[in-house]
Amino acid sequence: MDATFIKRIYLTSFLIIAVVLFYYQILRGDYFEKRALNNYVRVVPISSIRGNIFDRNGVLLAQDSPSFNIAVVPYQIRWIKETLFEEIAKFLGYDKNLLDRNYKRNFRNFFTPVDIVINLDKKTAIELKEKFKNNILINVQPIRYYPYPYEISHIIGYVKEAENVFDDIKKYGYSPKERVGVLGVEQYYNRYIAGEDGGYLIEVNAKGEIVGFLGERKPKRGKDIVLTIDCKIQKIASELLSQQRGTIVLMDANTGEILALVSSPSFDLNSFVTSKNVSKFLNDKNKPILNRAIQATYPPGSTFKPIVALAALSENIIFPKTTFICKKIFSIGGYNFHCLSYHEDENLYEAMLHSCNIYFYNVGLKLGVDKIVKFAKKFMFDNITKVDLPYEKEGYLPHNIRYSKNWFVGDTLNLSIGQGMIEVTPLRLLVSINAISNGGYIVRPHILKAIAGKQESLSTNVYLGFSNDVLRILKKSLIGVIENKEGTAYLLSKLNLKIAGKTGTAQTKTKAHGWFVGFFPHNKPKYSICVLLEEVGSSFEAVKLSYYFLKELLDKNLLDITN
Amino acid sequence: MLKQFRSNIILKLCFYIFLLNIISMGTLYSSLHKGGECEYQLFYKQIIMIIVSWIILAFFSFINYRIYYRVAIFLYIITTILLIFVDFFGKTVMGAQRWLSFWGFSFQPSEFAKISAIFILAKFFSLPKKNDFLKIAITFILLGMNMILIFKQPDLGTATIILLLFLFVGFFSQIKKRYFILLIFALIAVTPFVWNILHEYQKKRLIVFLNPNLDPLGAGYTIIQSRIAIGSGKLFGKGFLSGTQNQFNFLPERHTDFIFTVIAEEWGFFGCLVLILLYWLILEKIINVALLLKDYFAFILTLGISVLIFLHIIINIGMTCGIFPVVGLPLLFISYGGSHLFVTYFLFGVFFNICRQHIL
Repeated sequence: MDATFIKRIYLTSFLIIAVVLFYYQILRGDYFEKRALNNYVRVVPISSIRGNIFDRNGVLLAQDSPSFNIAVVPYQIRWIKETLFEEIAKFLGYDKNLLDRNYKRNFRNFFTPVDIVINLDKKTAIELKEKFKNNILINVQPIRYYPYPYEISHIIGYVKEAENVFDDIKKYGYSPKERVGVLGVEQYYNRYIAGEDGGYLIEVNAKGEIVGFLGERKPKRGKDIVLTIDCKIQKIASELLSQQRGTIVLMDANTGEILALVSSPSFDLNSFVTSKNVSKFLNDKNKPILNRAIQATYPPGSTFKPIVALAALSENIIFPKTTFICKKIFSIGGYNFHCLSYHEDENLYEAMLHSCNIYFYNVGLKLGVDKIVKFAKKFMFDNITKVDLPYEKEGYLPHNIRYSKNWFVGDTLNLSIGQGMIEVTPLRLLVSINAISNGGYIVRPHILKAIAGKQESLSTNVYLGFSNDVLRILKKSLIGVIENKEGTAYLLSKLNLKIAGKTGTAQTKTKAHGWFVGFFPHNKPKYSICVLLEEVGSSFEAVKLSYYFLKELLDKNLLDITN
Repeated sequence: MLKQFRSNIILKLCFYIFLLNIISMGTLYSSLHKGGECEYQLFYKQIIMIIVSWIILAFFSFINYRIYYRVAIFLYIITTILLIFVDFFGKTVMGAQRWLSFWGFSFQPSEFAKISAIFILAKFFSLPKKNDFLKIAITFILLGMNMILIFKQPDLGTATIILLLFLFVGFFSQIKKRYFILLIFALIAVTPFVWNILHEYQKKRLIVFLNPNLDPLGAGYTIIQSRIAIGSGKLFGKGFLSGTQNQFNFLPERHTDFIFTVIAEEWGFFGCLVLILLYWLILEKIINVALLLKDYFAFILTLGISVLIFLHIIINIGMTCGIFPVVGLPLLFISYGGSHLFVTYFLFGVFFNICRQHIL
């Protein structure tokens, strides 16, 4: 082979190199330029501080506190990752798998710090830093803290990192850790509370060390919000309910401001923030996360009777003095319908305080199903209350088709005592019955009082247009329930609060639910209360609970009653 | 006329090498530059080494190259002993035992192995005997022993270079080609066994070479980052001291084996072409001289020198671009380090002496 041939080999090789370089630098230059940019330009997110949440008296219900996280830069620790994790896990007494899991979940790219231990106290974090020096970073992040993690869970909700939402931008190094509110006002008013995350645009080297500063967007602190809730009342209600399944709602009868709303059993908000031990709440068959006041519907039972009475009075079908005879059994179409006892001759007042079923069977029959449903609709039984909480559920009433074809007279009888094809949420029932107290206005129940110091008025009224006479008669009948010795809620008269209201025993397949719904003082209503206890067998349990609840409020001077 | 050609060629080569020195210093300055400050110590050290190299070059250009014909075997034995020494007393740097320390100086005997390999090839191929098979067998066994020792250090790059040097020089010498073809087949046949004795990290490098994304933080990292650096240089580069991959430390070993990426990033395609052109001009001049030589020993010597330079350049640039596996070879004239500079300048000294002796 000629030695000149070697020249050709050299030249060809150099040309190949030139072609390769041409390909990388000219043809794919833009692509690699972008990759180089991604290498060294980083967005370091700074979480915004969420607004605090206060009760109506300024008691802190939710705040951001600093959480000390331990982070590592993947590239920097790439050779020592396993041993480093092992040592950190050993130091903290954690399982190494937890660190691996966090690492995997929070990993974005090789140069962005990854949180591997979350929410340490300051002392431990500093000890770790002293031990592992530059291999780890302390990453201070705000974390939501709830001073009353159980008592007010359903109203407040919690905060978590919305990683999944931002999965698509994760690879670009942007903050996937934006915190969003889940449930309660944290969710409903998230856009006010959340503020805006900020960030630094920085240049970093291969160790993730900052070598240049390109820009900054300051995070915006979220707005503080004030709730209508009175934390002290809320706590009392929560304690009373703690052993039972049910709900207590106390509302301002005129404005719809909710002073207390407790659903029991409850869940620990702080566990949900740190994602620790949440499965026990999620898997509990008693459904602690369910807000029974607005997300569960129950048959109203006898508490529906005032609506039926109001319909009959308005339609002039009965008058206060109209009587029906109760012989404990009411037979129709070959079926027997029962009352609790022999009430003999009963007018409206007597029927109401005894909660006589047969009286209302008669009224219901005279009214007809259409009228009952019409009035129930007027009272918005099948609508949401528009309370400012997420995922409110609406109740239901017999639907047109349902009662035209397969509707029997027995169904009408059931409906007239609030059973069968009728279910409402406790808050819905409270607001509807409350309309009797305030002269026929459906208020909008709400929880928000102020945003960033500015009063928010969410009070809206829907006037139902009932005559004052009818309302007065009805109110009188409801006063009898408490004040008459034979009244089903006579116990409450001991409180001297001038309570008017109605008990209810909602029949279910298992044990009956107990209701009490009422308002006080009846001459100038100020408060409206609703108590529901699941599967307690009788309404008396609800009356008892109402009694203890209001008594404690009285003893602690928490009610604003000046008359 | 010939005299003019000779001095002309020496002057031209000196000029090209000087240009490479300037490029080297500029690039080194940039790659040692960190946060607005250069690591001056290394930079100055390299300048001193370049000056020493020039002295070596000048010195050996006055030593009659025929002497190497006589000392080739002696040099080979010394090198082999040094290589065995490294096995026992060598300094371990980055997991490889390549260095020997004498009086505070460290050097790599494997660099000497390249020189002795060229001498051995030149000597045996230019022996007056006609037995080609014996020539090939002896040189292959001699070089093979060194290769195995170097391979054990482990320095896959130098071992490969010596093997390729043997094949290239053999092919372009007047030895019968069929023996080489046989040898190549034999080498291919033993490849699987070689694979088994490769170190874990070497296997990894070869696998990752085929797909760098397999291990983007480990073995593939260098290739990925160097590709990004080269590609992002585009036509005219990001400018002196402005390479982000370089300045922000994304490139490991960028003042040694991966220095080409710094040139590519900061001076772009254009800068790369200038560098390649310089290399080509140097190699072309060497081959031009080789073609004129009548002394067969000098011819093989010159051929060996050009092949050695060529292989270093191609393999180094090729590996930074990701078309060859990463084997740890310096970019001649440009990379930081003394050993390869001394060897290269020494070889140029030898070559200049050949020019002086023959082209008169």
